[in-house]
Amino acid sequence: MRKALILLFAVLMPGQVLAANHVALANDVFVERVTTDTQGKQRILLEEPKVVVPGDRLVFVLNYRNAGAQPADKFVITNPLPDAVRFADAGDTRPLVSVDGGQGWGRLDELTVAQPDGTRRPAQPADVTHLRWAFQKPIPAGASGKLMFRGVVK
Amino acid sequence: MMMKAPVGGAKHRLLPSCSILAVIAALALPAQAEAAGTRAGSTISNTASASFDTGGGTTTIDSNQVDLLVDELLDVTVASNNPADVPTTPGATAQVLSFSVTNNGNGVESFALSTVANVGGDDYDPTVTQLYIDNGDGVFDPATDTLYIPGTNDPELEPDESVTIFVVATTPGSVVDGNRGIVSLIAAAVTGTGAPGTAFPGRGEGGGDAVVGATGADGTDNGAFVVSAATVTLVKSAVVTNTLGTADPIPGATITYTIVATVAGSGSVSGLAIADNIPANTSYVAGSMTLGGTPLSDPADADAGDFNGTRINVVLGTVAGGQTRTVTFRTTID
Repeated sequence: MRKALILLFAVLMPGQVLAANHVALANDVFVERVTTDTQGKQRILLEEPKVVVPGDRLVFVLNYRNAGAQPADKFVITNPLPDAVRFADAGDTRPLVSVDGGQGWGRLDELTVAQPDGTRRPAQPADVTHLRWAFQKPIPAGASGKLMFRGVVK
Repeated sequence: MMMKAPVGGAKHRLLPSCSILAVIAALALPAQAEAAGTRAGSTISNTASASFDTGGGTTTIDSNQVDLLVDELLDVTVASNNPADVPTTPGATAQVLSFSVTNNGNGVESFALSTVANVGGDDYDPTVTQLYIDNGDGVFDPATDTLYIPGTNDPELEPDESVTIFVVATTPGSVVDGNRGIVSLIAAAVTGTGAPGTAFPGRGEGGGDAVVGATGADGTDNGAFVVSAATVTLVKSAVVTNTLGTADPIPGATITYTIVATVAGSGSVSGLAIADNIPANTSYVAGSMTLGGTPLSDPADADAGDFNGTRINVVLGTVAGGQTRTVTFRTTID
């Protein structure tokens, strides 16, 4: 567990060196581990993904920064979910999601999935194929922010 | 479709960490191994993209790509295939229990097999003589199934694959009806076992680590034999009648013999037959044999009885515990 970082550190940790092109997007993945201390209290740790096995919970962190001189308007971040990851949640970042490979988008509770018998059922987190955050306001020059979501290794 | 998003802009420099921690705590579940899952050695790649307009039209950029190598999870389960205790008899050899061994991990793995016969909670210890690896038909046949030799032909299973293992045992001769004997079959990942989370660096399929899963990378289950024995008791009685209306065994008197076979126990006896010699100085009364009150003919033929000139013989076959068979015949005193 010496590699473990508590979440606060992870969130504050500088992202990878942000690329040029004025606006940069960095992507970090952590493994979320639950440990129980001697008092029986559970602690949630984010570790570097040294060892990843089915059932592990992954935390995806996206750092964005507008390093240019102009505001970035119509700012949209899209993350296709890796095939081997089942979406769990996106904390309180409220993304739009797609459950059909990026064709249609909406809030998860608004979407439905076709079933073999032709009827449609409400979409579940496991149906999510893509996540998208569409910002209503421009990102001012010099501003940065962070998004996150969680998934489970299938 | 653009929708109002709650994040964006400089004021979001810091996420409210406390609320995120709370969300994590609420959603935290113990990492549960699923059956198989993503194959060990495969890569999970994640890339996000951002599009925006800084005045010169829409620009799209990609994030860095993060590649995660999926490590091998070591998990195995063993389950008895016998829905109930398997009947056996005292001293019986080649008594068979059937088990399924399933690779619940996400990589190909070999499993070492062993048995424990003195697990306790039973009445006797079966003597395990061999383990056989089924050829796929689920039926034990030592001619077509493979004798298991530890370390030599440990069964290698793909993720989610199962194999049937037969445990062959001898029942001690000293056991009695109703005794139970338990045998445990244990399957252990050859790569290693231990507490969940124990890692074997570089030993996973595809070059990653091998990590012990929730099962500890070993599994066990019990199968049981139950002794189903039966005993036979024969009781013979005779009644004399004569023309004087008394019970005196005078010449010419008729002796009616009754033989009652009683089978006791939870098992059954097979090949049961009753033979009785006609006593000296008496003569068998032709056609006098009965079984359960039904007459039997004297020749050796389709019915169960025959008289060969010196003895009667009645074939009873297989008789279950708790049942009786009654045979009668008559003689006259010479």
